[in-house]
Amino acid sequence: MYDVHALGGIPVNRLHPRIRLLWVARAVVFALVAGGVATAATLFAPVPIPTFVPVAVGGVFLVVGVAVALLRYRAWGYEVRDDSLYLQRGVLTKVNTVVPFVRVQHVDSARGPLERLVGLASTVVYTAGSRGADVAIPGLTPEGAEDLQDRLKRLAIASEGDDAV
Amino acid sequence: MTRLSPLSVPYRAVQRSASIAFALAFLAFTGGTTFGGFLGGLGAVALVGVVVVAIAGYELAYFRRFEYELTPDTLDIRSGVFSRRNREIPYRRIQNVDISRNVAQRLVGIAAVDLETAGGGETEGSLRFVSYEEARRIQSEVARLKRGGKDGDASEPEQELLFELTPRELAIVGALSFDLRLPGLVFVFGSTVFPIVASYVDVPVPAGSAAAATVGILAVGLLVALVSWAAGFASAVVNYYGFRLTRVGDELQYERGLLQRYNGSIPLDKLQTLTVEDNPLKRRFGYATLLVETAGYAPSSDGTNGSGGGRGSEAAIPLATRDRVLGLVADLEGVELPTFEGPPTRIRRRYAVRYSLVLGAATLALYGANRFLPQEIPWFVPLALVPVAVVAGALQWRHRGYALTEDHIVTRNGFWKRETRFVPYYRVQTVIERRTIFQRRWRVSTVTADTAGSISLVGGDATAVDIEVTDAAELRETLNDRLREALSARREARQQSRQAALGIRAAEPDRDADASDSGAVTDAEADVSQTPEFVEEAEPTTDEADDDAEDAADTGDTDAADTDTDDADAAEDADAAEDAENTADEPAETDDPFIWGESVESAGGDEEKADDPDESSDERDAI
Repeated sequence: MYDVHALGGIPVNRLHPRIRLLWVARAVVFALVAGGVATAATLFAPVPIPTFVPVAVGGVFLVVGVAVALLRYRAWGYEVRDDSLYLQRGVLTKVNTVVPFVRVQHVDSARGPLERLVGLASTVVYTAGSRGADVAIPGLTPEGAEDLQDRLKRLAIASEGDDAV
Repeated sequence: MTRLSPLSVPYRAVQRSASIAFALAFLAFTGGTTFGGFLGGLGAVALVGVVVVAIAGYELAYFRRFEYELTPDTLDIRSGVFSRRNREIPYRRIQNVDISRNVAQRLVGIAAVDLETAGGGETEGSLRFVSYEEARRIQSEVARLKRGGKDGDASEPEQELLFELTPRELAIVGALSFDLRLPGLVFVFGSTVFPIVASYVDVPVPAGSAAAATVGILAVGLLVALVSWAAGFASAVVNYYGFRLTRVGDELQYERGLLQRYNGSIPLDKLQTLTVEDNPLKRRFGYATLLVETAGYAPSSDGTNGSGGGRGSEAAIPLATRDRVLGLVADLEGVELPTFEGPPTRIRRRYAVRYSLVLGAATLALYGANRFLPQEIPWFVPLALVPVAVVAGALQWRHRGYALTEDHIVTRNGFWKRETRFVPYYRVQTVIERRTIFQRRWRVSTVTADTAGSISLVGGDATAVDIEVTDAAELRETLNDRLREALSARREARQQSRQAALGIRAAEPDRDADASDSGAVTDAEADVSQTPEFVEEAEPTTDEADDDAEDAADTGDTDAADTDTDDADAAEDADAAEDAENTADEPAETDDPFIWGESVESAGGDEEKADDPDESSDERDAI
């Protein structure tokens, strides 16, 4: 994109490439469900609907979902800076978030069942804010997630966040 | 330990049984008449009686088991009939203390007290009910104890009346208020009742001419406007009758309400954001509304605390001349209305296009409906509003803007209801910059300074909308930097004032206090710096622990491992480094997920430990 450089370039840290597997798999499942619903609708609809319709619905969901999953991976990046955590993400809507370490309430590292399946983990940073209250970084290796958690925790402690709100 | 007011037992019992008994009686009587006639009715009466007795008993138990106490540091509440709860709320964490009394409560002289702390979707401390005098006492005691007051200094802090709503202003507030809820209710009610009525009575339905339909729609529209205006007037008067805002020491206190009196306090250092709000009418006559936001109010409180600019912002000044409102802002936050930097000129076109597109969509929808309806409807009417859309776009563009003052970010938004928001840098939580796919076409971004308030839940954060992409990136970083600077400045100021206070105290009796204090400070510092090591100690994963045990067994030197913790630490560090190298070399798939799951758990455990010293070290000023 033309404006990425205007924003100081792409952050150094990328997600683990394997997260694409997870996101693509999720898109495929979603497409299958959508196709299934469309099939059911075709079977029980009072008016005859051509058989290619559910296939087309599933296909569209599949293509769009997979494309979004891949683009999302390309858009994701994060950076642990001196005084803040910087995240950049979003396919249609680009979102850049700055979380100052002084505002960090606590840090989680979490592994969902699906994440565990592909050997990944995520780190979640909580603040007292209202809309950016929890910021999750998915697609980390388990060591990476814990390392990041540890680093963020130390930085948050070192930043002497006395005014939590 | 203090009990609630004894009057709260009958009041609560009546309050609760009134609703339940009514519902039950209704069910039982309707059910009873179909099943057993008189007997059924008798049974219903008996049932209602049993329920009422049960409720009275419960409320008595509630009263007997509810105790609260104002200790030197915390407000303790012990409550619960079946499941007991002991809650201690540190005074420093209390954001607001609110007292409310409705007509019945005023008659018997009791009041409900609500104490809010930051975060959470519920009121943290709720006393139902105490006598009004006791409520006022709690309010002032909490304020006094929060200042660390001793029993001796009971001197009343100075009071300063900041604002009082004159009857004339109250009338204007009412005249400018619209409450759409009543017409909404009427509509819902009417749409269910009308068909039933129409089935009995022959309601003359106007003949299907376009003119009659238009007249009908206009009449209904006028009626809705009138009703909502009347409802708005009534609710504004009921809500804001006798509104007073006072500064008592370092707190804001407000009072308002005709039937239900509200009475609350907000510590000045808990203010999150101030918002000045107006609409074309208010602008025309030079009036504005001030909203005060803290982190305490639950989002749901806007539902219970009436309408009229409630939105969880209790100390809101419903209406005052613009100068007065801005003067108050300057008073409270020390910030003047700055000159705003608006979005680029090209964005004006964007807004005009956007609103026109909405009109186009409406026209299209109406046209489609026209095709399928038997009757001709004037589908082209929305097109007449295109000039309005252009004007709205221009207004939107003109009103939008942001400014960075010395200590605040100020933003302004809205084309009809214009909101100017003042956020101190040190209140910013996170900074979010977003570009939608449409904004990217226009090379603009939106920057939001998220705060810990609760109004923000409905999208009320300070937001600089549609500013140049480069400016947005700069603003994002500037906000982050200024937050840090403002925080460290505050910390320094606080330390100085603390030292000054201690210096005075230490100068009189002896130097010991000073020395001990500096010791305490270094202790706290050491605590913080030590925390990471402490964390590492607490962190051994299972395999590391095994290694240690093996090592110890190999050397046969268990004592050394126990006593010489430094060595053990070093060994652990070395182990950890080795582990890290090993895992870095190996592909991650070979790791046993179960072990990782365990280490995640242990990490969670040490997080708690790490939080504790941190929590205690900055206990004096968080939130």
